[in-house]
Amino acid sequence: MSGEDATSRMGSSTGDDARVAVQGVSKRYDGAQGPVRALSNINFSVANGEFVCVVGPSGCGKTTLFRVIAGLEESTEGRVLLDGKMINGPTSDLGLVFQEYYLFPWLTAAENVGFGPDHAETAADERDARVQELLNLVGLGGSADSYPRDLSGGMKQRVSLARALAMDPGLLLMDEPFGAVDAQTKRMLQDELLDIWQETGKTILLVTHDVAEAVRLADRVVVMAADPGRIRTVVDVDLPRPRTRTDETFGAVYERVLGLIN
Amino acid sequence: MATDTRGPVSGEDVASPVGSVDGTRALYGVAGVAGFVALWWAASLVQPAYVLPSPLAVGETFAAEAASGTMGIALGNSVLHWLPGTVVGTTAGVAAGVALAWWSTLDDAASGVVRLLRPVPPLALIGFAIAWLGINHAGAAAIVAVGAFWINFYAAYGGVESVSEDLIDVARSLDVHGSLALLRSVVVPAALPEITTGVRTGIGRCWMLVVAAEIFGVNGIGREILRASNNLRVDVVISYILVLSLAYLIIDAVFRATQRRALKWR
Repeated sequence: MSGEDATSRMGSSTGDDARVAVQGVSKRYDGAQGPVRALSNINFSVANGEFVCVVGPSGCGKTTLFRVIAGLEESTEGRVLLDGKMINGPTSDLGLVFQEYYLFPWLTAAENVGFGPDHAETAADERDARVQELLNLVGLGGSADSYPRDLSGGMKQRVSLARALAMDPGLLLMDEPFGAVDAQTKRMLQDELLDIWQETGKTILLVTHDVAEAVRLADRVVVMAADPGRIRTVVDVDLPRPRTRTDETFGAVYERVLGLIN
Repeated sequence: MATDTRGPVSGEDVASPVGSVDGTRALYGVAGVAGFVALWWAASLVQPAYVLPSPLAVGETFAAEAASGTMGIALGNSVLHWLPGTVVGTTAGVAAGVALAWWSTLDDAASGVVRLLRPVPPLALIGFAIAWLGINHAGAAAIVAVGAFWINFYAAYGGVESVSEDLIDVARSLDVHGSLALLRSVVVPAALPEITTGVRTGIGRCWMLVVAAEIFGVNGIGREILRASNNLRVDVVISYILVLSLAYLIIDAVFRATQRRALKWR
């Protein structure tokens, strides 16, 4: 079977409801000991409104995959389609959320959220209304005028989520979003993210090394393996929400995914 | 939706203890100055006046120089060298530093020239100042400008270079495209702490350069210090050094207040 056939087959199998289609993505670096295969023939898609998590051991290329989908890095082969259009650079159709937040420290919470709309020359009153609405959505309505240095890690991540949502992206792309906060805050933020997902109907692709997080949040879990970075399998998580770790069914899926990683 | 139990740290809460710490520090500062003057006084008792005049004698000379108008004129002349020199040099230095750090092609093209010119001390350019501008205010200001240029060039260059690539990525993902738009909305605000630190360092260094620049014959505080040295008038020398210090203290305090307001997010 030729590569061309594989691509067209992939395209039809993803169907019309695919928001994101990752098609035959490979990425090679030139390392000190010759070329490194960071990603090898990655194929998967995320349906409209779906919540998909990507998990894998460290060094499996999760973050590289995130950066390729985000348009921050080019793939060596293959392509990523967002609503059928090829991604060839960062765009406001993709809302990015990083582990380290990357808030603009010289802007207040409200100004951070309004950064995108501001540059899109949205009318001031419309922008302010949108900013307030988003800050309320993430539970930070009262911290609009605080600078990032005065916010806790959890609050910073809420601002960064609101900032990503401000441009009404087709896909919310998150890289270890709760990796830098304590366990209790992490749990709370996961619940809030699920609420926001259900409230807004956004499509979410979340990259994490935390298996419990992936099983707790996702409709489907894409399990990766290292050397070279590739997809081992995709696990459907057919459990009702809210999910708790103590559930027997949760434990079964968790053990299965964990087993696939180790 | 649930919120964090940790609220934002209020600015007022932080300000009051810092204010009282500042008060204690100021008190120690005054005590230190008083101790220094006392030491000076004691030393002056065992030395002839042409080696070390007493603080009181210096105070009298200071008052006499101020009353005669000589001091005011000297200060005015020095400001004429310092202000235009600092403004022109700072503006050019920041602009060049930001531009070279941001546009790598420009940096590659200019790096040879930068390396060639960097080691040249501003005072070595006195010859050019005299030949091109003459022994006048413009010549002295030009030397000051060269000094301001390099300090600000390197501060701005370093500031822009250390701006996080990730912040730029975030801005691009929010549809800020084009290098000029990114420069304005992300790079310059992010580099502003380093840039303003450079400006502040430059302001101080330029005062020192004013004195040196006036030694080749332009009137000002530096000229008065040189003249008094030639006449062995240490009391006059110290009086003009005090003028220099006071002028610097005032300018630096004003700049620091401005800087603090501009960087209140830090």
